Amino acid sequence: MMDWTYIQGILMLAGINLISVLGLSLLTGFTGLFSFGHAGFMAIGAYIGALMTVSPSTTPAGLGLPFFVGIIAGGAAAGIVSYFIGRITLNLKGDYFCIATLGFGEAIRLILNNVQIFGGSRGWPGVPYKSTLPVIILVDVIAVLFLANLIKSRHGRNMIAVREEELAAQISGIDVFKYKMIALIISAVYAGVAGVFFGHYMTFIQPKMFSMTKSTELTIIVIFGGLGSISGSVLGAVLLTALPEILRAFEIWRLVFYGAAVILIMISRPKGLMGGMELTPSGIRKARLERKARLDARAEARRLNGLEDGSAEEGRGA
Amino acid sequence: MAAILEISNLTKRFGGLAAVNDVSFSVPDGGIVGLIGPNGAGKTTIFNLVTGVYSVTSGDVKFQGKSIVGLPPFKIADKGITRTFQNIRLFKNLTVFENVLTACHMSAQYNLAETILRLPRFRKEEKMLYEKAENLLSIMGLTERRDLVANNLPYGMQRRLEIVRALALDPKLLLLDEPAAGMNPDETEQLMNLIGRIRKDFNLSVLVIEHHMDLIMGVCEHIVVLNFGLKLAEGKPEEVANNPKVVEAYLGTTEEA
Amino acid sequence: MTQFFQQVINGLSIGSVYALMAVGYSLVYSIMNFSNFAHGGVIMLGAYFGFFSLTLLHLPFFAAFLLASFGTTILAIIVERIAYKPLRERKAPFLYFIISAMGASILLENIVIATIGPTFRTYPPVFERTPISIGPLAIGRLDLLMFAISAACLTALILFIEKTKMGKAIQAAAYNIKACALMGINTDKVILIVFGLGGFLAGVAGVFFGMKYTVYPQIGNITTKSFIAAVFGGLGSLPGAVLGSVILGTLETFVAGYLSSQYRDLIAFVILIGVLIIRPSGIMGKNTEDKA
Repeated sequence: MMDWTYIQGILMLAGINLISVLGLSLLTGFTGLFSFGHAGFMAIGAYIGALMTVSPSTTPAGLGLPFFVGIIAGGAAAGIVSYFIGRITLNLKGDYFCIATLGFGEAIRLILNNVQIFGGSRGWPGVPYKSTLPVIILVDVIAVLFLANLIKSRHGRNMIAVREEELAAQISGIDVFKYKMIALIISAVYAGVAGVFFGHYMTFIQPKMFSMTKSTELTIIVIFGGLGSISGSVLGAVLLTALPEILRAFEIWRLVFYGAAVILIMISRPKGLMGGMELTPSGIRKARLERKARLDARAEARRLNGLEDGSAEEGRGA
Repeated sequence: MAAILEISNLTKRFGGLAAVNDVSFSVPDGGIVGLIGPNGAGKTTIFNLVTGVYSVTSGDVKFQGKSIVGLPPFKIADKGITRTFQNIRLFKNLTVFENVLTACHMSAQYNLAETILRLPRFRKEEKMLYEKAENLLSIMGLTERRDLVANNLPYGMQRRLEIVRALALDPKLLLLDEPAAGMNPDETEQLMNLIGRIRKDFNLSVLVIEHHMDLIMGVCEHIVVLNFGLKLAEGKPEEVANNPKVVEAYLGTTEEA
Repeated sequence: MTQFFQQVINGLSIGSVYALMAVGYSLVYSIMNFSNFAHGGVIMLGAYFGFFSLTLLHLPFFAAFLLASFGTTILAIIVERIAYKPLRERKAPFLYFIISAMGASILLENIVIATIGPTFRTYPPVFERTPISIGPLAIGRLDLLMFAISAACLTALILFIEKTKMGKAIQAAAYNIKACALMGINTDKVILIVFGLGGFLAGVAGVFFGMKYTVYPQIGNITTKSFIAAVFGGLGSLPGAVLGSVILGTLETFVAGYLSSQYRDLIAFVILIGVLIIRPSGIMGKNTEDKA
């Protein structure tokens, strides 16, 4: 069962998932907002993308335009919708955003179930097969670079600050609402683009492919790879897409395992696989520096404790 | 001396309770003013009102002559007011350096496109931000610990880091909320010197909430006393210390570390 | 006109089930300030517990009912101990709680799918199918029972919270749980009881839901609506949760009756958007500002 077509299929699915996961990583891992409904953005991307590319002879509604138009339209549509959701919810407390995304994801699915020109709940067959591995990998690379460049900048740091301590971010001059919105829109665009590729890989799209289960699976991958780590998301997407394929026999237990794993990760090692670290030269260097600093501080505290006074306060050398 | 901060008839009600009731005072430009009072007197509430964390029920807050009531916190920080918190709100999982670097963000202007494409303006300004952060750490004696995760800093250093982070925004008015909490007399004295030094070197004004009387008496030029949301007294340190109403409010106890 | 009142009654009956779901959720929210998204899974298991008590154990109805509810009470407490307590102790950020809740929800739903199987189950008929007639109106016996028991449970809950010492502790904890701990209240016990109460209500809701509709592992998804109802009524307010649920149930029934059943499920989301735009604190919600 290890022939190239099979492996290629897994890689493509992993690559497609990765695009969504990267977007979600920005929103959840770096900005600290939890979305229950990102599959909804994928759905928007998939359907709008299909609308652009399906030939009118197959479906009257189709426009028969080239693939890249579908990609841009799908991503843009998802982004625009996310803007409106953000306007309503991002100013409110965290829970409201979660519930709103939950509601949004379900609402999209329900609405699509009722839109007959898209096939309704029976689905929309005849989407042209356009997703090829090289293109997916290219998009993945662009997506990673985009995200990495964003994170390592004052904009990225501001988003991380929002995740860390929102009130402190506010009084540090960070427009929290603006940055949450930026993170949301980018994550939605990523999900939308992923949706376009997904549709043009499966050649058939159906609302129930974009259910709450899909949304939560995406979030699980982000958590598994580690909040705040791009390389974690990459590894997570590949592993958690490939693994279930290989362990087909245990399919029904897969989600049980995921659920248990999520709880376990949260209570023991919330930083996930990568521990918030990046698997890059600079990332490893940074982790080493942090570790050294921590050990040095501990050693100095012990040394000072060995001296006469009880307080472990160090560094009076200001 | 003109006032950099003018609080006039400031009132904040939570439901029926007035946490701050018709309070007026000002902070002179370049001055160090202390805000004291028993717990629950409304001191932190005033900080929250000035920084826009709480909405004002009535009254006015003028910064450099212009009213800042109704502005969101980040805009107020932009105007030049920054603060520290009673219960230290550092970015705990970030390193010392990252805490300060993040706060330096307002000194750069590069936009998202320049960021993604790594255009020249990004490179230049990012380098400038790094330098600024390193510089601040060095002035404040935290360079050795730059890679330590903030959560692992000893308590006193965490407080100092919070002050550095506030300074990264180039403020003209610094609000310190119980910066000496949990410090022993030695550290408190260092903090006093630090505050005086900051005022001079960074050319700013300071409004500080404190319970440590030695710090208040030692470093403040003017003191405002609050109790139950009302202004009880105001004046030079010696005047306030000898004011019978103030003594009574504290019931004769001076807070100790 | 009779059609109208008939719909009102139908709406109230589904509303009361939503209310049971929403109240359990709002109760936990008021104390812990976080949304227990695992609540849906507990409700779902309540439906299953009831089902198997009736079919496997052949217990009489009320015994099965109680068994199911106690089962969910214990389950809710177990979820709390495993998925939330460690986070509370580590003072983990709010985000981690939500993620853990999500994990618990997936775990519960899929354990059922993997073990018992995804097929829909139907409760054996417990009551006569003939409705009770009051004048021109017909009320199903099940609906009447649901309404009565829901009302009884909610009344008991309110009395408990208002009149008992533990109830007052819960109210205090809802205001400020840290202060409670400082006052010597055993907050761990309070949390335990709150989750237990929520769990009990979830069991009742689950059994009723299973009886009125069918039993399947994805029942948890229906609770999305009850979350929305709780938000609508005001997160953290118990009367609000009831009010929001009843209004939601009634509106849904009207839309299904007068427009089309296809749009019924969308009502909840329309309400959600309306609430978030117009008045996020909900009908009876309190406006709290973040304390620095």
